[in-house]
Amino acid sequence: MINFKINGHSVTAERGETIINVARREDIYIPTMCYLEKTTPCASCRLCSVEVEGMDGFVLACNTPPTEGINIITDSDVLETERTNIMRMYDVNHPLECGVCDKSGECDLQNKTLEFNVGVQQFAAKDQPRKIENWGLINYDPSLCILCEKCTHVCNEVIGDDALDLLFGGYNSKVIPKNSDVLDCTFCGECIAVCPVGALISSDFQYSANSWELSKVPATCAHCSAGCALEYEVKHAGIDSNGTESIYRVKNNFEYATLCGAGRFGFDYDNKATKDEAAFVKAVEAVSKAKAIRFSSLITNEEAMILKALKEKLGLKLFNRDARHMQLFMDAYASVSGTKHYSADLESLKASDAIIVIGSRIATDNPGVRYAMTTAARHNGAKVVYMHPLEDALLQNTVTQFVKYEVGTEEGVLALLAQTLIVDQELTQREQAFIDTLDEGYLSAETNVGDDELELMKKQFLRSKSKTLVIGSDILAHERVENIARLVALIEKYGDFKVLVVPTEVNTLGVSLIADLDIDDYSENVVGYNAKGNFVISALEGADLDVAAFNQQEGTVVSIDKRLLPTNVALGFEGYTLNDIANALGVFAENTIDYTSNLPEKSGFKAVGFDDLGNFYSAKGVDERGYVLEGVKVHRGGHPEEVAELPEFNGAVIYHANPVLQFNAFTATTEQLENDNNLYGSASFAAAARLSDGDAVSFVYAGETVRRIFKLDNTLKGTVALHPTFDLGLNVRSDYRFETVNFKRESK
Amino acid sequence: MSKVFFSTWRGESINNIDKADDAWEESAYNLPEQYNEHSSSKAFIGWDGVALFDSEVDVVRLATEYAAQYQVYSEACGRCAPGRWGGRILYDLMDKIARGEGTMQDMDHLKEVSRTMQSTSKCEIGKTVPTPLLDLMEHFEADFVRCIDEQKPSKHYAESVSYIAKVTAPCTDACPAHVDIPGYIEGVRDLRFDDSLTATRQTMPLAHTCGRVCPHPCEDACRRTNLDEPISIMALKRLGADYETDHGFGFFHPAEKKPDTGKKVAIVGSGPAGLTAAYYLALDGIHCDVYEALPVLGGEVAVGVPEYRMPIDKYNQDIEAVRDLGVNFIVNTPVTAEMMRQFETDYDATMVAAGTRLSKKVRCGNERPEVQGYWGAIDFLDRVNLYEKYDIKIPKEVQEENLLTTDFVDLTGKTVVCVGGGFTSMDVVRCSIRAGAEKVYMIYRRDEKTIIRNTTYEEYHEAVEEGVEFLFHSAVEEMVDENDVLKTLKINKFELVPDPNGGRAQLVKIEGADYNIDADYLIPAVSQSADFALLPEEWELEMTSWGTLLTNGKDYMTSRPGVFAAGDCEYGPMTIVNAVGQAKRAASVMSRYVQNGGKITLTDDEIMEDHLRRMKVYDKKEKIVGWLPGLPREESEVLDVDVRKFNNMEVNLGFTQEQALGEADRCMRCYYIAMVAY
Repeated sequence: MINFKINGHSVTAERGETIINVARREDIYIPTMCYLEKTTPCASCRLCSVEVEGMDGFVLACNTPPTEGINIITDSDVLETERTNIMRMYDVNHPLECGVCDKSGECDLQNKTLEFNVGVQQFAAKDQPRKIENWGLINYDPSLCILCEKCTHVCNEVIGDDALDLLFGGYNSKVIPKNSDVLDCTFCGECIAVCPVGALISSDFQYSANSWELSKVPATCAHCSAGCALEYEVKHAGIDSNGTESIYRVKNNFEYATLCGAGRFGFDYDNKATKDEAAFVKAVEAVSKAKAIRFSSLITNEEAMILKALKEKLGLKLFNRDARHMQLFMDAYASVSGTKHYSADLESLKASDAIIVIGSRIATDNPGVRYAMTTAARHNGAKVVYMHPLEDALLQNTVTQFVKYEVGTEEGVLALLAQTLIVDQELTQREQAFIDTLDEGYLSAETNVGDDELELMKKQFLRSKSKTLVIGSDILAHERVENIARLVALIEKYGDFKVLVVPTEVNTLGVSLIADLDIDDYSENVVGYNAKGNFVISALEGADLDVAAFNQQEGTVVSIDKRLLPTNVALGFEGYTLNDIANALGVFAENTIDYTSNLPEKSGFKAVGFDDLGNFYSAKGVDERGYVLEGVKVHRGGHPEEVAELPEFNGAVIYHANPVLQFNAFTATTEQLENDNNLYGSASFAAAARLSDGDAVSFVYAGETVRRIFKLDNTLKGTVALHPTFDLGLNVRSDYRFETVNFKRESK
Repeated sequence: MSKVFFSTWRGESINNIDKADDAWEESAYNLPEQYNEHSSSKAFIGWDGVALFDSEVDVVRLATEYAAQYQVYSEACGRCAPGRWGGRILYDLMDKIARGEGTMQDMDHLKEVSRTMQSTSKCEIGKTVPTPLLDLMEHFEADFVRCIDEQKPSKHYAESVSYIAKVTAPCTDACPAHVDIPGYIEGVRDLRFDDSLTATRQTMPLAHTCGRVCPHPCEDACRRTNLDEPISIMALKRLGADYETDHGFGFFHPAEKKPDTGKKVAIVGSGPAGLTAAYYLALDGIHCDVYEALPVLGGEVAVGVPEYRMPIDKYNQDIEAVRDLGVNFIVNTPVTAEMMRQFETDYDATMVAAGTRLSKKVRCGNERPEVQGYWGAIDFLDRVNLYEKYDIKIPKEVQEENLLTTDFVDLTGKTVVCVGGGFTSMDVVRCSIRAGAEKVYMIYRRDEKTIIRNTTYEEYHEAVEEGVEFLFHSAVEEMVDENDVLKTLKINKFELVPDPNGGRAQLVKIEGADYNIDADYLIPAVSQSADFALLPEEWELEMTSWGTLLTNGKDYMTSRPGVFAAGDCEYGPMTIVNAVGQAKRAASVMSRYVQNGGKITLTDDEIMEDHLRRMKVYDKKEKIVGWLPGLPREESEVLDVDVRKFNNMEVNLGFTQEQALGEADRCMRCYYIAMVAY
């Protein structure tokens, strides 16, 4: 703790805090052009220069930690003069095209130019012709660029793509793709978000609207389980009410939150269908007669409440394999840990210095988790151990150790982890006996995880103080999910690890905490709600009854942070909702969000109404969205069982994993996101499956024939191919993600 | 010291304008009056002023060119607003005046922009470039005003003059390998560890090694010292190297390897000098065969420096980076004179980097190598390291010679006496502790302060912690043996007697203070010399008075054309970074030598590097402005003595990421730009 003064006011700084951190915390203004809270200081703009009483010269507020007893002066005539000169320099030859620039109205350069009252260009320098670059979803105009370096910092330190570089050369400096002629990245678009001027712009949005014409709708992203905050920016085009309203772009609070490209560019999945009364009548009838409703976890908590009420009212069954797997995992986990919720969240993951990820192609399964890991790796030097049958090139600069295990042997790997990570702990007799009787030789041989690899892991973690175990959806859908969950809880309890569970869908966790789910027996007479069924109610094309898409609804979801998050209506929907069907069947509520305050308290929900939920980050970065679920204590009594015989997957194995930015049937319909649905495999997979690059193949997945083009991918190794499922509509089944298939070669 | 017409260098104010020759005042500094053997300099201009060696210098153009060097030609990074735009404005306005189109308002703007750059720029280059320009505008205002008034170009505006500029920094200048230290620290600060490593590898391929065992002379020239404490420069070098290794990237080389030139070079020795020469020659597209006498690569860092200081897996990474460029290593091959003769036919040039591998004697009575228990430090460390790092066992006959019964060095129950005071002796005593010796003495002629100065505080302190007993002001008088087995050492005790005439204090033996130590081993580690059996006698290579190969210390060619020498065999036993620096320069000279038909040349950059080194960039008296003092230097965690004492675990754990980033943030980026006109 350091005591010092800012403008005479006594303040204190924690270790690691800089002058600007303290100033902002204390509501003291220091101007900046390049400062970004979530990255290391770029220190390029120099506007945050401040004076220290009694000292000659200025010091920089953004990267200087205060020392005991100093008095910082944030504003003086000299500072004003120099800061004004800096702004004059920024304005030298800056193109006077604010009239058409997308950034106009929300441009930091405009704002600061006005703030420092720079009206004319006093200094001259030779102008230079500069070429506008088109990098796909992103355009870059170097003449607008002020070289603040926010984009390069965020790309490297938070995202992990490290795809942008600075071409040094004084006045000619510019941003360029790193080690490449074209921008080769995951197109998260965070560089656009952080750009304070109009240099980096969404090519889709460019020249389509002025910032002040757009209304902002705070919402939660629907594409994965991270539950990222975003704002839909909506505009009503046309001169009367017949005009259409559409989402022009998505923005995020880039200072504190991060968004991937699916959230940013994949926003146009709204259902444009109109009201169809006949279909509604049929839907009510179908539900009333249905044996079961099958639904996906891409729904709100409130909808889950309605389904639960319908079950109770009509005596039907509820099928949702995805959420049911989550329930199985969490219940078994809780039986050992004694708590209903796991211990980690994205913030604690960011603060970790040791991370194990198991059972997920995490970078594409959940970019939010990837970004948290990137942050931990860069900022804390976190050692990241990635355990999976397939290596992921996207994670190379984050992962410090890749441990490959055999497909299907996750239970064995977790047992080995428990044995490795739990040392010198006082376990119960039964737990100790479990550890002692593990057949290390067998586990090691079958999982293919060697003792040397586990030793290296231990060595890496030697100095770590904050460890996190990340569990992916491969594990949730595993046959042995319950025993794996118990092992996870054991590691959490004795291995000094926090645990983060990463399910597939935006509300898998919420649904699992609300609905009473049945075992899906694939029987007939099932109504599908955004899922396969004999009668389909869905926001996707071809439904028997159209309902609103996620960005057309209000309601809440529960993210992997165990946080209840509200989302709002970005675009209206004229048709029916699930609540209308429920009302027709005697389950009454005026609005869907009437259910929000009734979410089950035994699962940690609070009796807070939808309209009382916050949906923003505070100016100081505090996440004020919704609320964090209350911790719930549950009865302990579970114990890890003996590890079952580990399965073997022979032949041509595919892994259901989507490409970058694609997640599901909704992202598949969006305009800007790339639609690559090829089957990718390594040369050794090609040899094993007897396929060559470009072959058309078919195989049976979830009972239906899928046709794919096989592509050789040299970045892949091993004999497992990557198979996307995002374009399969409602025919996606939440089973164990690895599968042995029989390929049929089709004519090209 | 330098004859100047005008100088404002480092605050001096010398103006010999209109003075008679005998009334001339000299500059107090060692300025580069003579650019090279062919040309004398007209002017020198840099971060701390300007000096004119010629009254005819066109100062307006000089100022313009300096601004241009900063802006256009130099590696001005453009990473802060004042530097990026300010530098451009300086140049454009200066040039406008110089070509006769300026206005008085431009002069005011120049001063205004200069002030903003001086007070707000990110690095010293942006802060200091305006300094000499303002000096010139002040002292030669008339020349500027004349250009403006007459709207005519400055007097020699169109003439061809050579302007040679170089970017440096106090730390870079002090580093024998001239590593771009601010560059690699910036890479750490920006969390761009790959950039950090490539910055290091521009002149220093051994990033893992010199991130651990460098005595860091750069830290003695760190400007931060003037404010509080020097940056922990060395420790920050590890981060880039660890990033590359931990994530299993390929190797981040500083440049793409040039196409094969068809030229071949033989390198004798695979120590730091040999590796470095091979690395930079290979980058230039020259094939290198590196001959190594031992079965393992790496020279003294491999077989001298112990595992607990320099883990071999990390050093091997550095070696692999060299191999990655296609360098061919030939082990188990001591080079003979006959081979050297053959090299002249087979290769386009030869580099001797054989080190100094003969342990010198302690010069005591009865010092006979055949006495068992008398064991040279180099051989002792070879045996320890070959076993510990490579599992190479000690042959039976060597065991017997050295009173061992095991195939590794086991000193259980033994008393070891080492005579030394440098790094090698520290390695000997600490390895002896780890080999289980019951008692380990270090005998040193001088005092504690001197041993710390000759090694490091950490090294000495850690040795004491581990149980080494240091006997200062002592020397071995005689070895006493029984049937050629060492039994006892007679030790003399000295005291430091100040010279009444104010000269250097003398070590004087204290009569009657002699004592004996019963010792099993005496390990001389006083110094080492080179073994030049490999040099053909008829070549008659010139030697230094201390028995090393003579070169001019700039191009590193010996008296025989085509035969170069670098590292300890040229300089005498010195540091890794010294060997790297010499070999880097030698490689550059050799590369041109083999490609330009045997001509020895230095690049302008190298000439400037030598000028600056002679002038010394670091000024310990300079007052630092623009940085908050009182931010303490980070210290890395060290393994507890009980944990480390009997094993080879790396003692220094390096910085945590938090420490590293905090330390990197203390770096003031003291880049400077200097320029000579000739």
